[in-house]
Amino acid sequence: MGTPMPSPDKIDFSTLPIYKPDVECTSRERIRAIQLAKLIDQVNYTYDRVSWYRDRMDELHVRPSDIKTLDDVRKLPFTDKSALRETFPFGLFATSLDEIVEMHASSGTTGKPIVVGYTKEDMDVWSECIARLAQMAGVTAGDRVQMAFGYGMFTGGFGLHYGILRIGGMMIPAGAGNTERHIQMINDYGTTVLIATPSYAMHICEVGEKLGFDWAASSLQIGLFGGEPCPPGLKAEIEARMHITCTDNYGLTEVMGPGVSGECLAHRDQQHIAEDHFLWEVVDPDTGEPVPEGEMGELVLTPLDKRGIPVLRYRTHDLTRVTTEPCECGRTLARMDKVRSRSDDMLIIRGTNVFPSQVEDVIASIPRLAPQYRMIIDNESGLDRLTIEVEIHPDAFSDSFEDMNQFTQEVTAKLQSVLLLRPVVRLLEPNSLERTLGKAKHVDDRRRG
Amino acid sequence: MSVSQISVFVESKPGHLGNVLEGFEAKGLSVRGFSAADTGGYGIVRFVVDKPEEALADLRERGFAVRLTKVLCVKLHDRPGELASVLNAMAEAKINVVYCYSLVSTYVVLAVNDIAAAEAALASGTLELVDDAEIAAFPCEKAL
Repeated sequence: MGTPMPSPDKIDFSTLPIYKPDVECTSRERIRAIQLAKLIDQVNYTYDRVSWYRDRMDELHVRPSDIKTLDDVRKLPFTDKSALRETFPFGLFATSLDEIVEMHASSGTTGKPIVVGYTKEDMDVWSECIARLAQMAGVTAGDRVQMAFGYGMFTGGFGLHYGILRIGGMMIPAGAGNTERHIQMINDYGTTVLIATPSYAMHICEVGEKLGFDWAASSLQIGLFGGEPCPPGLKAEIEARMHITCTDNYGLTEVMGPGVSGECLAHRDQQHIAEDHFLWEVVDPDTGEPVPEGEMGELVLTPLDKRGIPVLRYRTHDLTRVTTEPCECGRTLARMDKVRSRSDDMLIIRGTNVFPSQVEDVIASIPRLAPQYRMIIDNESGLDRLTIEVEIHPDAFSDSFEDMNQFTQEVTAKLQSVLLLRPVVRLLEPNSLERTLGKAKHVDDRRRG
Repeated sequence: MSVSQISVFVESKPGHLGNVLEGFEAKGLSVRGFSAADTGGYGIVRFVVDKPEEALADLRERGFAVRLTKVLCVKLHDRPGELASVLNAMAEAKINVVYCYSLVSTYVVLAVNDIAAAEAALASGTLELVDDAEIAAFPCEKAL
């Protein structure tokens, strides 16, 4: 019980389940054929039913009949988050509300929430996408799956819930919060799979350790993470301390929710895209022009069979690269690099481009630090100043100021070599940075003027 | 002969030192002496307490970055020149005192890298060295 998966070169992938092998393992030619047929249908459907898209396509003098190849997708207009805000709440819906069986909304931390509606067919696609990624991690009908996402309007809770039901696993719908109860339930019900944000999983792990719970001996085997990007260092630490294998998936409310792509156990830094349901493009975030395959750019997604809200060429602002090489796990679906940064979370500090993911990588590589950090940018003195708060690992403290100062200097130097600017490093007590239930907040930009 | 010292990593923020002490009170631990020094952002607070192992366990359990170190504790006679004589003895033996502080004024903690050598350097005098048992036993009234 609770044995972590062996390293990828020792996994016998023939023993792991694949939910829909006739699609997930098919030839690239067939995938492209499926995509083209669906794209043509979807563009027609969207043009006929959504005036917002019809107006934009008319402005660009593009007609659905102009879509003859997959490359023709570039003739279509992009969609940005603002389109969903402008048309709040139901302006982009392609069906009558009678056909919508479930509604969700993003948290709406800036402005109005993004409202999405799913038809019965949409729910079917969604749950299948989740079933696929759960099986990539090894989840089967025999698993007992405990939900630590919040249910409610957030797509993560119900999305994962339906996917697990689709496989036939047993859902334990505990919901977010009440950490001690989660640990008690894992113990009482023999939970084998935990669904959580990585930061909350870490919190559950730490609380369990404090209570003396023996993670090595527990029934838990798999963590399905989502809701926020999972830094590799944090994942490795959770895997080691909870004795489980963790994967995470990618998705966004605007195109469906979780399940757009999921991590298999062969390439832990990549995720297979459900290409029969999503057409991907990788574009230069400034020009919108495609970048060559394998190069970094902004991910643009077109859901291929979405009925409730069809979205064309959604600009995710997430930076990634995509490969179509076959995977050792047996799947042929394209793999995207896990999203580590967004085109819009790039910070410009003293004229230098800085991504929080760069800080994350440096922090993760230093064993004496916990994999948590916060970046504070201010310009009180007139010049931009970057302060990075890090937590010292409880075992890494020495009684000597000389040693602690030297350590701070080392961390500063490592960060400076990657960021190309010198940050102020502030050592904090263990567990002093907030572990959030939702999206971990790492950047506090206090600059004025 | 040495005594056990608990060092705690504490951010220089209101209430943080108090958080450390709260647990001591709850566990009935008595502080015999302490020293707090800071760098502006964080500090190292060092305690000599009557039950060091319990204090260590309590702080660990509460998630603090904490370390137990051995330090020398010298009991001085309360007369002029005593402190100087201790430090002179260290200097003559070429032992660097990394930091030092007093418990009550006649009990002085010295952090050195080589406790045995420092102890030997003080052996010729009439100074008394103190161990954990004595720390645990001494009521402040008696020391005064």
